[in-house]
Amino acid sequence: MAAGRKPLEGKTALVTGGSRGIGRAITLRLAADGADIIINYLRRKSAAEQTAAEVRTKGVSARVIRANLAEPEKIEAMFDEISAEFGRLDILVSNAASGVARTALELDDRGWDWTMDINARAFLLCARRAAGLMKSGGRMVAISSLGSRLAWPVYTAVGVSKAALEALVRYLAVELAPLGISVNGVAPGAVESEALRLYTGGTDLAPSSWQTTPAGRMIRAEDVAGLVAFLCTEQADMIRGQTIVIDGGVSLAPVSIPAPGQGDAISHVKP
Amino acid sequence: MASEVEEVLRGIVARVVRKPDLNFSPTATFKDYDADSLDIVQILVAIEDHYDIELQDEALQSVSNMGDFIAHVEKRIAEKG
Repeated sequence: MAAGRKPLEGKTALVTGGSRGIGRAITLRLAADGADIIINYLRRKSAAEQTAAEVRTKGVSARVIRANLAEPEKIEAMFDEISAEFGRLDILVSNAASGVARTALELDDRGWDWTMDINARAFLLCARRAAGLMKSGGRMVAISSLGSRLAWPVYTAVGVSKAALEALVRYLAVELAPLGISVNGVAPGAVESEALRLYTGGTDLAPSSWQTTPAGRMIRAEDVAGLVAFLCTEQADMIRGQTIVIDGGVSLAPVSIPAPGQGDAISHVKP
Repeated sequence: MASEVEEVLRGIVARVVRKPDLNFSPTATFKDYDADSLDIVQILVAIEDHYDIELQDEALQSVSNMGDFIAHVEKRIAEKG
């Protein structure tokens, strides 16, 4: 990389669900690192256009495309547009997510299908088309969730869909490696976001159970964006098929225990 | 005579709630069609997609039946110009 050159300069990146929340932070970070951005959104056109305007202030281009990723033909149309307009793609960030908040026993087949279609199948369909537009050096990053490996209240459909997403990351990583395309995932813990407020609003969990991590604070969208940006660089080239947890250590110590004071015994064995 | 938006909405609601012979009425509510929260999201997405408009969830709070909803959609289409 030439001195002064931004790490993703000259790259074109598609961020699904890139207008708000974590997706917005990823969009802005990749733009700050020099990538031209395509923002996919589902409903909030004004938010997508606002994020695009902010992207352009960083000296790169921005394009917004509405597409409901639950519908394969809409994904096809989005990639037809990208193919016609850009002719290539260097980075795919599969971030768009949705889901129904139900326990396993309350979950109906439509809620299951909707969640799996957007959170897992859409990545497969996007990756299939993106691979055809990528050259060696292409990058795919899927945004998962700690809920893929833990069991959170009413998170069944999303958690299972994210587990499928992580498995897909591994399979795609191996399958696309000969093409020089790397595929990885990022699994954040609870991120301060509108999505988290919607989710925890449906539970009786105390806010403190989300806000405490061994690192001392919650994960921010910008933390996730920084990791995604790193995975898109040349330095990350030998990381393949991994889903990297970014959670401030909370999955290592899910129960918050006050740190022992100086001189306190930390075992039951008397000195 | 039903407006164009009413015809489009009727088709979308019938498809989403899986009732092809839906008896559509401007005074009916989503509840009358057994639409759950996922159905409503899918209806909103389909309408937004069809007309390339954005429906603000906050503005929809005052919508009580299909007639209100049609009026709101028509207003958003007119604002788009």
